[in-house]
Amino acid sequence: MIESSMKKFIHHSASSKKALQIAQMSSSLPVNVLISGDIGVGKKLLCKEITQNAESFDALELEQLIQQQKIDLQSYSIIVAYNIDKLLNKKQFFQNITSIRIIATSSLEYNDRQNNFPVKIELEPLSKRKNDLIELTKFYTEEANKIYLCDKTAKDIEVDISENGISLKKSIYKSILFNSMSKDEMMNALYNYFINELTKGTKSYKELLEIFEVPLIKASKNIYKSQVQMAKNLDINRITLRKKIDTYFESI
Amino acid sequence: MYKENFYKKLVNESINPFVLFNNDAKLIDYNNEAEILFNYLAPSKLFELALAHSPHNFGFERKYINLKYTKLSFYAILVGYIDDEYIAIELYKQVNTEKEIAKIHNIKLVNIFSLIEISKSTNLNNKEIKIEEIYDVSIPEVKVNINNFLLTLNECFVLFQNSKTIKIKVNIKVGEYEIIDIKKHNVIEIECKSESKIELSKKLEEQALKSHINVYEIEGVLKMEFPMIL
Repeated sequence: MIESSMKKFIHHSASSKKALQIAQMSSSLPVNVLISGDIGVGKKLLCKEITQNAESFDALELEQLIQQQKIDLQSYSIIVAYNIDKLLNKKQFFQNITSIRIIATSSLEYNDRQNNFPVKIELEPLSKRKNDLIELTKFYTEEANKIYLCDKTAKDIEVDISENGISLKKSIYKSILFNSMSKDEMMNALYNYFINELTKGTKSYKELLEIFEVPLIKASKNIYKSQVQMAKNLDINRITLRKKIDTYFESI
Repeated sequence: MYKENFYKKLVNESINPFVLFNNDAKLIDYNNEAEILFNYLAPSKLFELALAHSPHNFGFERKYINLKYTKLSFYAILVGYIDDEYIAIELYKQVNTEKEIAKIHNIKLVNIFSLIEISKSTNLNNKEIKIEEIYDVSIPEVKVNINNFLLTLNECFVLFQNSKTIKIKVNIKVGEYEIIDIKKHNVIEIECKSESKIELSKKLEEQALKSHINVYEIEGVLKMEFPMIL
């Protein structure tokens, strides 16, 4: 998992603004707070908006520490517990920490049957937070541009939000990295790839050739649109090109 | 003479309502508690209740039945008559001693509007509900058990999740007080109303009991009352 370089909870969409408002209002209250949502929606960052200095634990690890009596609970007044839904014995866990304020994160499936959390904040996925997505894409693009010395804009990048912020960051970094690679770096990357593949087992020349041909046909199709133009510009026989397109039909 | 006055006072001071009717359903006498009961139940209804549960012969008969008139609950009634002219009824009030414990534990000064905002936002969030708020902003910060208060509000707003509109009214009740540890406190009322009738849930009743909040429903409108402890 990529650690977030984001320091503040992004709140440009209506639902994230509301979530931040509730978090800030709850920060001074002596009650447990649960933040739930899918992976990468910003649960940990929102926890920091409630409490900056509290020690954080993975809930399962904390449960084990309590069982093994390796933690002095009396020295804590507030604890941040990530993935509270992963606890093995929830009832016992909360009985052990009745005097400690808990700020917890969980998946959306977690059901607080025992009413341990008077405040529950649900974070929507990035697909429903368009303004946050724009802002995050801009942030990660600028960050990646600085690292790879590029000047790509968010428009040039194809983003993946299947895992919200996590996949978004990965996709932006990858996209900018690939765009910034020189011919030598590309060949070097391919060299390493071939080394790995050939070490794993025998592969034919034809099988490995698709690494080169698929992106080439895909890119030329994108630029020249028609097969006639593609053949003409790539200086390749139309029948040969057609055969190759048929071969790589699924990949293209 | 002495006896008559003494019993009259005794009956007047009782926490149970006493009512005496004549055979035309006319009120002849009643105590202080009955006067409060009349706010929630018409005397004619009470007369019907007395007739329905009156003993077959002259004398008195006690029946254990659960009755609830908004925020007043009774667990039994006593109906009796010694002639054809008068009939009397006494209702046995249900008193919850658990509340007494709840009210003195872990209370902290807080702005209740913030708590309502948090609960409302977390329970009615992402839903297209039109919310109208009428708040008496002169209500100062009050002492409540924040944890239990929020849990009670949550249980209340959960009942409105399928509503299209919700009207939340918060005000201090005029002329009503609650006495805790000899101190007299004003009563704050939170009223929640929807376009359709809302029924109390068992969870809300249980949670309200833990939080020292009186919760009841009048014609589909939910009302929560709690002392304004400063």
